[in-house]
Amino acid sequence: MTKKSTSRPTRKAANQRKAKAPRRWLGLFVKLSIVAIVLLAGVLIYLDAVVQEKFSGKRWTVPAKVYARPLELFAGQKLTKQDFLVELNALGYRNEASASSSGAMSVNGNTVDLHTRGFQFYEGAEPAQAIRVRFSGNSVSSLAQTNGRSLAVARLEPLLVGGLYPAHQEDRILIRLDQVPDLLPQALIAVEDREFYNHYGVSPKSIARAIWVNTSSGSLRQGGSTLTQQLVKNFFLTNERTLLRKATEALMSLLIELHYSKDEILEAYLNEVFLGQDGQRAVHGFGLGSQYFFSQPLAELKLHQVALLVGMVKGPSYYNPRRQPERALERRNLVIDLLVEQGVVDAEQAKEAKQRPLGITKRGSLANSTYPGFIDLVKRQLREDYRDEDLTEEGLRIFTSFDPILQRKAEEAQAQTYKQLAGRKDIDKVELAMVVSNPETGEVLALLGSRLPRYAGFNRALDAVRPIGSLVKPAIYLTALEQPSQYTLTRYIQDESFSVKSQSGKVWTPQNYDRKEHGTVFLYQGLAQSYNLSTAKLGLEMGVPRVLKTVQKLGVERQWPAYPSMLLGAGSLTPMEVAGMYQTIANGGFNTPLRAIRSVLTAEGEPLGRYPYTIEQRFDAGAIYLTQEAMRRVMTEGTGRSVYNRVPSSVVLAGKTGTSNDSRDSWFAGFGQDLLAVVWMGRDDNGQTPLTGASGALQVWANFMQAAAPSSLNMTPPDNVVMAWVDAYSGLGSAKGCPGAVQMPYIRGSEPLAGESCDEPSYLPAPVESVKSWIRSWLN
Amino acid sequence: MSKHAVILIALATVLAGCAGSPHRAVPVVESGAPLSPGAMRDSRVRQSTGTTQPAQTSGVTVMPQGESEAIQTYAAPSAPIGGIEIYNDDSSRQPSSANTSAPQASMPIGGQARLAADEQLDGPVLALLTTAQQQQTGGDFNGAASSLERAQRIAPREPQVLYRLAEVRLAQGDAAQAEQLAQRGLSYSNGRPTLQAGLWDLIARARTKQGNTAGAQEAQRRARVNL
Repeated sequence: MTKKSTSRPTRKAANQRKAKAPRRWLGLFVKLSIVAIVLLAGVLIYLDAVVQEKFSGKRWTVPAKVYARPLELFAGQKLTKQDFLVELNALGYRNEASASSSGAMSVNGNTVDLHTRGFQFYEGAEPAQAIRVRFSGNSVSSLAQTNGRSLAVARLEPLLVGGLYPAHQEDRILIRLDQVPDLLPQALIAVEDREFYNHYGVSPKSIARAIWVNTSSGSLRQGGSTLTQQLVKNFFLTNERTLLRKATEALMSLLIELHYSKDEILEAYLNEVFLGQDGQRAVHGFGLGSQYFFSQPLAELKLHQVALLVGMVKGPSYYNPRRQPERALERRNLVIDLLVEQGVVDAEQAKEAKQRPLGITKRGSLANSTYPGFIDLVKRQLREDYRDEDLTEEGLRIFTSFDPILQRKAEEAQAQTYKQLAGRKDIDKVELAMVVSNPETGEVLALLGSRLPRYAGFNRALDAVRPIGSLVKPAIYLTALEQPSQYTLTRYIQDESFSVKSQSGKVWTPQNYDRKEHGTVFLYQGLAQSYNLSTAKLGLEMGVPRVLKTVQKLGVERQWPAYPSMLLGAGSLTPMEVAGMYQTIANGGFNTPLRAIRSVLTAEGEPLGRYPYTIEQRFDAGAIYLTQEAMRRVMTEGTGRSVYNRVPSSVVLAGKTGTSNDSRDSWFAGFGQDLLAVVWMGRDDNGQTPLTGASGALQVWANFMQAAAPSSLNMTPPDNVVMAWVDAYSGLGSAKGCPGAVQMPYIRGSEPLAGESCDEPSYLPAPVESVKSWIRSWLN
Repeated sequence: MSKHAVILIALATVLAGCAGSPHRAVPVVESGAPLSPGAMRDSRVRQSTGTTQPAQTSGVTVMPQGESEAIQTYAAPSAPIGGIEIYNDDSSRQPSSANTSAPQASMPIGGQARLAADEQLDGPVLALLTTAQQQQTGGDFNGAASSLERAQRIAPREPQVLYRLAEVRLAQGDAAQAEQLAQRGLSYSNGRPTLQAGLWDLIARARTKQGNTAGAQEAQRRARVNL
């Protein structure tokens, strides 16, 4: 209104230019006033544009959130109660007498009651519900709703395991005011700005009080800033303390209040406020603050937790509850007292809350860990499909196959192994990488890029390209076993020295690890014992290019030159590539590209992208079965047998050790039915290690499998494989009951002729099945 | 004179700016709807996959059997040099026809597969297949495929899951993947002739779509043999 009235004299002044002297002064004054008003108006226009633009547009950019796999619950699921509780703890479930509200659980013997929180997944919404999970041994024995209704399957909400931040990024979980516990705004207003609902952005009363307090105490104790002013400061301005900045802040506060309601301003404040620094990531807003400090959704916070967060607003690093627990506790209790004073809570509630511990999740616990190796993999797979800005700004939700419990077990297995290896020469310089996947789904479940799991640097699992040594051998045997008319597991091969001359005239003379020759051995023994001489000879019989073709069919995209030395693993791969290669063997000859991501949702929960399961049959199931059999024997009688010092011998596993020249690389790759793991150990400077594949990588693998308890490899023979009794020493056909007779699998038609029956009359009749297959083998 | 005009315009603009839409409805949350798990309770519910409660059949276990029972006996602690280590493990080596369940399955041939009651899937897999079926019927093929992959993670060797997944892929136009998934299903279908027939039929359709007429005829022939 004032502006309008000043415009009238303006016109008058312009019309009466030729006035007398005293009037000139007046005229000048008016003109100067006009200039001042115009300037102020310009500033106001500018500030108003700034305020409106920021407030009506997208207020914040939010980095993509990366979630672990949700834990599935169903009767018969392989899951220990202990692992289940670890997961629940990481998800911030509160242990209560009865699980009556969202995010609560109660444990009673082998029964766990919990009230899940519900979550939006790609396939649809998982409802929040009260469920009862019963355990028996190492699995879930029953699942039901707590009200007694049956429930076939349920999912927990997935653990948030990371985000995709550029350097120095603000991170937040956006919340709406209606998702906030009532106590939070009340407490915030009580502590920071009592007059919030009564002022217009600036509060003369508060300023006066601040001046009074500060002058009477002689120091700057109290700020008169309203929540609006604080928001403006954080949103638009720098931290400098100048009068000009203060004035701008006040003007902008007035403008914001003019355009927006108190609730909108409060909501913006709750999302904007800075609550702590996590490495390069700045924790903003109460939504993320709640997750960051308590691993709980904001809506579930109780008085003592709300008071802590509100108290931290004044000085997030000064009152950091992880670094300054005593200071933070004192501040929290002060806030609680203040709330009693203002009648927000009663004395009873306050007393109870003040007795609570801070309740902050521990650093390094499952709830509060970083997984840089796995996140790196996720990032790389996402970058193929999304722009960087989309990943760091759009608040996408990335659903991965990451299994935090298996990851924890992998981390512990490697730490344990290094402890066991302590004292070996230069063991400190030996690095490690590990990839864990599920061969049946092709999903990556865990990943270590370094022996320091929290280290975000060189990701050896994806980037260390190292000679794979004997890990290449299964490809040679698979190539051979694809020709059943010539090669069976019990064919004789010669393990003796030889030399070959390459086209360039270079002579290649392979040697066994023990520098000995082993004479005539069964084909499978060449693999089980990892004999170089017989294996190389076998590979040369088939031709190096043909073996390399098999390597490619197994899923390796890298091109290797067709040198004979490739047969003993001179070619280099990353641990991830090895996992892809072994995946095909573990999965019955079906190749599946390894995936870490299942699906992507937008910030609003709308489906955006999916990474479907794709497979391609690359090998005959029978040839793969026989290769698996030879790799199974690596574990029972060959170079991998020490695994059964840790894993129960009833668990059928298959695998292969690998050691490169001069022990520079120690490898092990192997699998059960539902778990595949590849471990590499070696030095970044490619120096010698004190380890072989068996003494290094296999030990990590065994420690891991002991904890992870894989299912036995399912050795049901495919259609074209028959089991035949052969003599263990000659490999010739024998019969059940004969001395030294063992059963071996053969591609139908390639088994040796059955031997004479050695059945003594007193024996029970031979099982029908073996007779049937024996007859079948004749008929075919 | 133009100076005055400028001033007037400026003042008018200020006024317009000040008066402009006070307390108008502002978009509340923009770049991120609620992201925290608890928040999702409020958002629209598309489909409650978790609570789908199909009629419970007290059926056969979904997971193929015979892994944990594998009993190994080592007849000799160490076989003589050159000998095969003895590994008599009959239980895990039975020819495949022995370890089957529900042999009299009625797998419908020809696309519109319903849940075959006598295939007797139970619990989680049945629930998820039912959900997937609903999603597929509603035209949500991605959701259906996603639910089926969830079922596949729970029962990776259940050929019916792979069958359904192949059906969805075929409906989505990915005939090559459909054929591969059906092949994988076949590798787990020993002793289940009806299911095998269904899978071969699906392979025939997938091959036809890929223009492989001869292959389709061969698959069709095998579908008949298996019936």
